[in-house]
Amino acid sequence: MEFSGFLNDLKAIVGDQNVVHHPDDLLVFEYDGSVDRRIPEAVVFPGNTREVSAIVALAYYAGIPVVGRGTGTGLSGGSVTPPGGIQIAFPRMNNILEVDTDNRLALVEPGVINLHLDTRARKDGLRYAPDPSSQKACSLGGNIAENSGGPHCLAYGTTTNHVLGMEVVLEDGSVVNLGSLARETVGYDLRGVFTGSEGTFGIATKIAVRLLPLPETVRTFLGIFPDVESACTAVSAVIEHGIVPAALEMIDALTIQAVQNVSDAGYPDDAGAVLLIELEGLQDEVEEIGREVEAALWDTGATHVRTAEEAEERQQLWAGRNGALGALGSLAPNYFLVDGVVPRTQLAQVLGQVADISRQYDIPIANVFHAGDGNLHPCLLFDERKEGALQRVMEAGTAVLQVCVDAGGTLTGEHGVGLEKKEQMPLVYSEEDMANMILVRDAFAPDNTLNPGKIFPDGTKQTPRSQHVFPGMPA
Amino acid sequence: MESSLGDRLARLLGGSVVLPVDDLEIDEMIPQAIVRPTERVQISELLLWASSEHVSVLPKGGGTRLNLGNVPRKADVVLDLGAFDRLIDYQPADMTATVEAGMTLATLQDRLAPGGEFAPLESAQPRRSTIGGILSVGAGGPLSYTYGLPREWLIGLSILGTNGISTKSGGKVVKNVTGYDLNKLYTGSMGTLGVILEASFKLLPIDPQNGMLFASFPSLSNSVTASRKLIHSGSAPAGCLSATSGITRRLQDSTLAASQDLGLGEPETALLFAFYSGRSQATRRRLEEAAAMLIAEGATAVQRIEGPAAKSTLRWITDVPTQVNEDSALVIKISVPSNSTPPTSAECGDVALFGEKPEQIADPGFGSIRLFWPKYGDIQSFHSMEPQPIIDTIQNVRETAQSYGGSAVVEQCPITVKSQIDVWGDYPDSLAIMQNIKYRFDPNSILNPGRFLGGI
Repeated sequence: MEFSGFLNDLKAIVGDQNVVHHPDDLLVFEYDGSVDRRIPEAVVFPGNTREVSAIVALAYYAGIPVVGRGTGTGLSGGSVTPPGGIQIAFPRMNNILEVDTDNRLALVEPGVINLHLDTRARKDGLRYAPDPSSQKACSLGGNIAENSGGPHCLAYGTTTNHVLGMEVVLEDGSVVNLGSLARETVGYDLRGVFTGSEGTFGIATKIAVRLLPLPETVRTFLGIFPDVESACTAVSAVIEHGIVPAALEMIDALTIQAVQNVSDAGYPDDAGAVLLIELEGLQDEVEEIGREVEAALWDTGATHVRTAEEAEERQQLWAGRNGALGALGSLAPNYFLVDGVVPRTQLAQVLGQVADISRQYDIPIANVFHAGDGNLHPCLLFDERKEGALQRVMEAGTAVLQVCVDAGGTLTGEHGVGLEKKEQMPLVYSEEDMANMILVRDAFAPDNTLNPGKIFPDGTKQTPRSQHVFPGMPA
Repeated sequence: MESSLGDRLARLLGGSVVLPVDDLEIDEMIPQAIVRPTERVQISELLLWASSEHVSVLPKGGGTRLNLGNVPRKADVVLDLGAFDRLIDYQPADMTATVEAGMTLATLQDRLAPGGEFAPLESAQPRRSTIGGILSVGAGGPLSYTYGLPREWLIGLSILGTNGISTKSGGKVVKNVTGYDLNKLYTGSMGTLGVILEASFKLLPIDPQNGMLFASFPSLSNSVTASRKLIHSGSAPAGCLSATSGITRRLQDSTLAASQDLGLGEPETALLFAFYSGRSQATRRRLEEAAAMLIAEGATAVQRIEGPAAKSTLRWITDVPTQVNEDSALVIKISVPSNSTPPTSAECGDVALFGEKPEQIADPGFGSIRLFWPKYGDIQSFHSMEPQPIIDTIQNVRETAQSYGGSAVVEQCPITVKSQIDVWGDYPDSLAIMQNIKYRFDPNSILNPGRFLGGI
């Protein structure tokens, strides 16, 4: 079939205005937040599950790969289009269908923006806990695909701990429900394994998530340290007090410099690291624990400690952290963000090794990270216009990941493998480990037409489609 | 004459690995052999051999829930994992631990306690229940409202597949999206996809203060309604359960509440249990506020307990279903969206079996209810009970649970009933995917065949 015929069929499903195929219009769909790019053949905007199903079925029988795209904020190339493929994007499916305060859950379409859901929930004294740094822009559908995290995942867990169920469209266009509105369901936990499957199992068209009650009190602490090592000691001291803060974030000297370049966040010139700690809970509990946190900060060598309880003041303390990635633009035109995770106790040592890699490759590396759960975000600063710069950055990035894995950690804590890290998967998983994962994908998407070419290294053995029916079962 | 399965296993794995079957039975099926390997390679050899010989293998931890699930299609070899009970890694400052599957929950908690931490896993009979067993069942306990299910805390697994190959999923870090999250798939899979060797968990710090409230209500529905209010209040507990008098009468016998008049002897009295932990001052304030609130909600008596006695009561209510099971003809566990707990509890509470209404333990915060219908007549008559009234009761309860968007799992019933039903209930529309996964992981269907839903 000619591609033009396929386009006409797409238009028949969603209407002419909801199919983008002019090369100029497709440019913005070429990339996500990472470095990989490819222009899709077309982008389709469905309005409901039925249309998603029809589009996916049409593409399946035409042999055209499909990738679901949230809002393109991903950081691993997860929504970059496979060769010859089309994108399905969800700006039209952006309705919060229900906020059920009594059951503390929300039913949303995949295009709903994370922050919009949280803002809506807050009107009823609830919140949606996972808060990726891109929460102003990223969508719930994308969050499901990547199992997104965020600063407050330290206390509340990542997306997977908040998803109750979803309606999904499989590669042949069939629609199934996974999980339920009840916390416990029977059978294999398919919504659990679907979450974080990076768009390769199916496309979520309705999502049920848990909402949590807002805490009585929130208090933020900002500690300024002479160097990253002492700030890491503070992290350990807090944990040793039996305290799990709601968030525990750190930025290093180079990041502080970038932040101060953009606007004065009030960090002193000699600050070597800034540690942000947020406590949530009952007023008296937060006060008691807060005294311990403050003491721990001073004991481990903080030069300044600030605290805030009012929302606006807390915002100010967070401003430097929240603006950090954007501020890196004042140091270099591009950054490559590595998402490695290490056991908390290895933080200081691993950051030392990251500094060695920075020197070795002569690439400045700024660190902005979730210290509480050991999730590093070394940002390798470069200028992609310089010949060979990107290649060298990718090599340094791999070296950083190797350091993380050697310290007992892993490749990605919240950004996903996507295209970016698929060739590094063997650092963590054996061929058999990956073969097991592919068995699960085969059960959801035997022909691998949804977001193919992601997660697993090129050349990974693909199991052939099996025609077997489960023994002993009615067909 | 062909040699017995036990003999063949002894030749394969070594004689000391094969144990006498004794009185072990699973749904009245007597396995042909029990093996208790001491080396991982023996499990690997067993699985490879069993796959090629189409011999079924039933992994076993502490054996506390051996009768959960459908009647197995075949029960050839029971694989006892009790010898794998090491703590492999525990770093208090990382708040993570890695353990072998055969370690009991109580041992794990004892080993973590000096580090000031615990694994937020809950199970009846923690001195027998093993980590592997708890993960395979995947269920929570009285504090599920706060801790959720084991799936929330599991960060890594080491698994032996039916091909005899050891694989891993996840790792030892608390945040990880590297590859598919197969941990979720294995948790709650009833041992049908692989044999769990090792598991890594996120841990939590032990709170310095414990406390709880008992509150008496004139009826279960009063208690459940009060539970819902409490859960949604500023002084929400870590967990809150409501139980009927037939359950709580056992508490009176256990002396925990004997000193106070909670009206446990009254036929209709239902108790509410609210569990708290945290920093001392804040916990005491919440206990006070909650007690006042429960009185305002119609509690006829409220008793407050702190410290070790509060922990003992939590232990008691975690264990009590096991005791009640022994006296029950039929036990059903319902899961519903949490706000449907009150009507589901009320409707199912009216469903009589042989003239008796069920006892209940309801968790209105998490959205689960356990219903226990008592045995009638003598023990001998239990297994010869006429199945149809029990099947009708199950159907009735399932329809109610489904009408509220939930499900109902039969946890215990006579074998005459069990052999006619799927204890897991009606099939979800994703069953084909589940069966497909099973087929790919275990093509010869040797692991716990038939025990999970839809013939898995």
